[in-house]
Amino acid sequence: MKKELIQLQHISKSYDGHMILDDLNLTIHENEFVTLLGPSGCGKTTTLRIIGGFERPDSGRVIFDGEDITELAPNRRQVNTVFQKYALFTHMDIAENIAFGLKIKNKSQAYIKDKIKYALKLVNLEGYEHRMPDTLSGGQQQRIAIARAIVNEPKVLLLDEPLGALDLKLRQEMQYELIRMKNELGITFIYVTHDQEEALTMSDHIVVMNKGYIQQEGTPEDIYNEPENAFVADFIGDSNIITATMVRDELVNILGTNFACVDKGFGENKPVDVVIRPEDVKLVERGKGTLPGVVSHIIFKGVHYEMEVQAGGFEWLVHSTRMNEVGSEVDIRVDPFNIQVMNRPASEDEEAIGVAE
Amino acid sequence: MQKKKSNNVFEKIYMGIIFVFMYAPILTLIVLSFNSSKSRAKWGGFTFNWYIRLFSDSEVLNALANTLIIALIATIVATIIGTVTTVALVGLNRKTRAVIMGVTNIPMINADIVTGISLMLLFRVLHFNTGFFTVLIAHITFNIPYVMLSVMPRMKTISPSVYEAALDLGARPMYAFRKTVLPDLAPAVVSGALMAFTMSIDDFIITYFTKGSGFDTLSTKIYNEVKRGIQPEIYALSAIIFIVVLGLLFASNRMKNVKIKPREMDERKAKGRKVRLIAATAVAMAAIVFLGMLFGGVFSKKSNQVYVYNAGEYIDPEVIEMFEEEYGIEVIYDEFESNEIMYAKVAADNAAYDVLCPSDYMIAKLIQNDMLYEIDLDEFPNAQEYTGPQYFESAQAFDPGNKYAVPYFWGTVGILYNKTMVDEPVTSWDVLWDEKYSGEILMQDSIRDAFMVALARNGFSINSTDPKEIEIATQDLIDQSPLVQAYVVDQVRDKMIGNEAILGVIYSGEAIFTKRENPNLEYVIPDEGSNVWIDAWVITKDARNKENAKLWIDFMCRPDIALMNFEYITYSTPNIAAQEMIEDEDIRTSEVAFPPAETLKRCDTYVYLGEEGDRLYSDAWKKVKSAN
Ligand SMILES: Nc1ncnc2c1ncn2[C@@H]1O[C@H](COP(=O)(O)OP(=O)(O)OP(=O)(O)O)[C@@H](O)[C@H]1O
Ligand SMILES: [Mg+2]
Repeated sequence: MKKELIQLQHISKSYDGHMILDDLNLTIHENEFVTLLGPSGCGKTTTLRIIGGFERPDSGRVIFDGEDITELAPNRRQVNTVFQKYALFTHMDIAENIAFGLKIKNKSQAYIKDKIKYALKLVNLEGYEHRMPDTLSGGQQQRIAIARAIVNEPKVLLLDEPLGALDLKLRQEMQYELIRMKNELGITFIYVTHDQEEALTMSDHIVVMNKGYIQQEGTPEDIYNEPENAFVADFIGDSNIITATMVRDELVNILGTNFACVDKGFGENKPVDVVIRPEDVKLVERGKGTLPGVVSHIIFKGVHYEMEVQAGGFEWLVHSTRMNEVGSEVDIRVDPFNIQVMNRPASEDEEAIGVAE
Repeated sequence: MQKKKSNNVFEKIYMGIIFVFMYAPILTLIVLSFNSSKSRAKWGGFTFNWYIRLFSDSEVLNALANTLIIALIATIVATIIGTVTTVALVGLNRKTRAVIMGVTNIPMINADIVTGISLMLLFRVLHFNTGFFTVLIAHITFNIPYVMLSVMPRMKTISPSVYEAALDLGARPMYAFRKTVLPDLAPAVVSGALMAFTMSIDDFIITYFTKGSGFDTLSTKIYNEVKRGIQPEIYALSAIIFIVVLGLLFASNRMKNVKIKPREMDERKAKGRKVRLIAATAVAMAAIVFLGMLFGGVFSKKSNQVYVYNAGEYIDPEVIEMFEEEYGIEVIYDEFESNEIMYAKVAADNAAYDVLCPSDYMIAKLIQNDMLYEIDLDEFPNAQEYTGPQYFESAQAFDPGNKYAVPYFWGTVGILYNKTMVDEPVTSWDVLWDEKYSGEILMQDSIRDAFMVALARNGFSINSTDPKEIEIATQDLIDQSPLVQAYVVDQVRDKMIGNEAILGVIYSGEAIFTKRENPNLEYVIPDEGSNVWIDAWVITKDARNKENAKLWIDFMCRPDIALMNFEYITYSTPNIAAQEMIEDEDIRTSEVAFPPAETLKRCDTYVYLGEEGDRLYSDAWKKVKSAN
């Protein structure tokens, strides 16, 4: 097990009487690429700002490397931030921007010069020393913001949606760039995004948040394959989320038809939700599957076809490399280990609190 | 297309008219400041004389120095406080910010007069001695919102994340602020400071109420001078102020528009250096002046003083110096614009001045309201010996028993006419109703003087409070109004000198001066009688320097002093000895300056009409004015 670097203990925060974070607990290990993932307004930036020291939690403690830093000023934390809106110093050139933190630490001229060079190389912007920030494109500015942060060799780098403003291609390039930097520099990244694909691509560890509560934590595979509730399942990729009844262990009734599954311990005849990924829904000849249905819609997506199938009164989303024409009569089959069974919360608020309990 | 073009022409004409309206008066003023003739009506050739005179007038220069020092210090302090407050405000949440902004903006939205009076009251409650420091505090107070108003919008555009980024990189809060927020804020701060400076130089009302006695800035000084006719030096001064203020506003606008572009980096740095240089110079100047004042002013201050409150231009300045030298008493000398303003000030703070020089009816009002100190004429040997007893006699009309007042100057109201333009000798007020002179008649723009003419013409008392008589007089004035060229105060003099009118109602003192400039002018007190007015010295009830005040009054009655004042002011002196010492025989025997006793018998002083009477007159006056 890796060393625990940051611990958020029972953090609560509210603005103007609105609870934004409620008793949040999170542990971040050294040298990890941790991603906070969640819809807009769920409290990701707030969490990051508490770690950076720009907000003080109403209650709870922030522990860094065994020390309580809850009250420590931001300029005294061994943490650097890449802000959601770049926040470059517009009246300084690129070199001065990057040198800002180093000058404060009284590094020698030669050292600073070296570092600027090294950092610009790292972000692929060599020779940009004397440009002004507003003559750079959004992606270039973002990379300068990253360079400005990493020259200080922080133990932890906080990145708040650093790729939000970039186009798809540049975003993908930068994703690899960031992973490379993380490996090269050996520092801990805490990364914020609401883009689930980005999170799955880059992270060692994903924290899914909703309405200020952590819904689920784990590796990208855990999160994708075994969402613990409907919110996570829905948020991470497309999926079929269906209300169902757990008949008994390893047997679930979906839309009136019994399916074999691998889940146990829900009790008998209990209401549940099931999640089935669209690529796990197999379409077979009529009579060869579990549930009969009719293909109602089809779109070609490049790698696969996306189809909608009416079956048992539910519109199933199906991904497949083989196409079935609209109107064709098929059967649906799902392998037992591809059916993910989850407890059904009684209300929406309970849904948000979900796993936090 | 065609339509658009004509629209453009219309726009241009419209703009042109607006500009003419705005700048024509100022242009006139600038032109007049180079006019060698004292009259506004005629051009006497180009001269720099008024500018030279202005800069050799130590009182005006003093006021100018006060204005600049106050403006400078107030600007610096207000800029610092205003900027810091704004920055702090942005950190607060929206609701609190709105409330605080609202509160701080009150002095700006508030009428100046309310701000001025409330500050005056506050200073009084706190027992602050009004003067330099109270004016300074007042200016700082009203300047802060201007700075905030300039800085706030800029501050709002600055994203806090830039400041946070600096903190994040290890900067301490002050350093982060200086490096990230301040450079972005600087143009707005400078423009706010310039605005504050302009406002400070410009302010009159608040200064007037907080300055107390013996301290003047340019605006209050100018205001004082206006009373007995504006001197051309003031045009010169106003022209200079206008140019300076225009320059500052221009600079302030330039500052606001500075956008920082990368290629302008060096230029911008140079500009930053310039701003810093100006700021440093300003601070150094302020420091020097301030120290100078401390050593020159505070430490040499004599404890032996007398506070004098007189009408504007109503003494030979040399007389003040002579008094100071002979008695070793420092004279704190202030001037008022009208009896009413004087009354308001004395009513608010009876001890502000020791000795006043009001007019007859106002003395009656002061006595009635128990605001004066009872004197014993035996303590005024010069007054007893040299002031003509007939004047004390006349003074009984408003000061029965001569218990409060010592006459200073007196005069009559009459008709000034151009003898080459009238057909028959002018002997009656009726001439002012003669249609022959339609458009050539000037009336005094003052309630009592206008009604005096109409009442006297009808044979009524000039102090009548009989509604029927007032009604007749009112109707007369309404009937007369189509013939009147203008209701004016001190323009009678200029217009008559410039042959712009044939007949004008005027004070005798002015008449002597105008006759000198235009020998065709004649002054007459009509047969129906007129007003004789007396201005006299009185001591306030709570005066702190009563003995000095008595010395001052008796000094004014010394024949040589009375003569100096007479020659300076040209109103009639009640000092018999001084009258005999007048060198110019024409004036010594002038019937304008010293009308024969039988003429004077026809004249009355104004008496205080009481509140009821005041209202009767002012209602009637409104009718006359709205009939015009
Ligand atoms: N300074 C503030 N004052 C009041 N409310 C705030 C403040 N900062 C954040 N909030 C509120 O807290 C909630 C969480 O905000 P936060 O910025 O953490 O969201 P986020 O997860 O980063 O969203 P996004 O993906 O849109 O950036 C939002 O509802 C937001 O309106
Ligand atoms: Mg955010």
